[in-house]
Amino acid sequence: MTVVPAQQSGGSGGTSGLYDVLELVLDRGLVIDAFVRVSLVGIEILKIDIRVVVASVDTYLRFAEACNRLDLEAGPKKSPGLPDLVGEITESGARGKSKGALSGAAETISDAFRQAREEGKESQESPRRTTKRTTPRKRQEEAE
Amino acid sequence: MTTYIYGIVRRSHPNPPIDMGGIGDPARPVRSVTGGELSALVSDAPENLRPKRNDLLAHQNVLSEAGAAGPVLPMRFGSTAPDDKTVAAVLEERAEHYSERLEALEGKVEYNVKASHDEEAVLHRVMGENPEIRTLTEANRQAAGGTYEQRLRLGEMVVQAVQAREAADAVEIQQELEGAADAVSVGPQSSGWLANVSFLVARDETEEFLASVDKLRGDHPHLDLRVNGPLPPYSFVEPGPAPHAAQTAGH
Repeated sequence: MTVVPAQQSGGSGGTSGLYDVLELVLDRGLVIDAFVRVSLVGIEILKIDIRVVVASVDTYLRFAEACNRLDLEAGPKKSPGLPDLVGEITESGARGKSKGALSGAAETISDAFRQAREEGKESQESPRRTTKRTTPRKRQEEAE
Repeated sequence: MTTYIYGIVRRSHPNPPIDMGGIGDPARPVRSVTGGELSALVSDAPENLRPKRNDLLAHQNVLSEAGAAGPVLPMRFGSTAPDDKTVAAVLEERAEHYSERLEALEGKVEYNVKASHDEEAVLHRVMGENPEIRTLTEANRQAAGGTYEQRLRLGEMVVQAVQAREAADAVEIQQELEGAADAVSVGPQSSGWLANVSFLVARDETEEFLASVDKLRGDHPHLDLRVNGPLPPYSFVEPGPAPHAAQTAGH
């Protein structure tokens, strides 16, 4: 008898969806004390701490840099309700700086962010590999 | 032979995924162990069972398949019993509790929503909301980035503003979506999301729920929302407020 698994995941799908589902399989669900649970050493690798904004000197500097380079004229996901902001900054600030340079810098920020996400994906692909890595959160705390 | 348990269903479940491939390599076939009016979906447990990706997926697939035809109480990954007899005894012993849960979850599925910020978009937003940050950014730009202290000060303000936005967005996500759900379970915060919330949704109301998510997405372009479902109701196996529900969605 062949059983075709029901579709278990919708929405964004892909590997990110897989990570999100596995987190639930491991962290939630019924636990019965009469049963023995397999040792879950190494499971913390499934936790991605990359996206939490932590207060630390490193983070402050990174965000200051991000602001300096923020492309205020463009940005596909720019909040639509802020026309005043863009006007104001363009008038007072971008004076003398070329728009091209600003856009280029904004791309760099996006790249760094994307890279952070890809690191997150990697940890799903090969969970064991990342077990001994210090999480970025920890590193930032140590830097304080 | 050690028995691995996937989940609990009613004995009258119309279509339990018997013989479907479960965990292990080669995949151990799924069978059922009955105790009273309940059945557990089980298979033999492979030796040296570890939380490997394929096994996690097998666990998930067995439960999804079972859930498609009737309510199922999903076990957390990795539960084993010394033998089938032990499983049957547990089913009988706690029949009332599990039957109540199966009734409560009948016709319902879980949707898990995780949210993070689109960094560039949230910076735009934070600047728009905070004139002081704008001014400081401008001043630093004029001064070729500013001194170390100036950059630190700007960064600190921005980080505080972004964190405040994370907390506010977490609350708002829950508020916007809980109207379309029967129950809410807030997940652990340590996973690095500004929000990690599960919603219990009636199978015939999933379209409304997903429409609410789409609306939220449209209204908040700085939010990166990841929705997974329909899933077995992992986060709703315990009655009342789930263990995580006491926490707030923010941090």
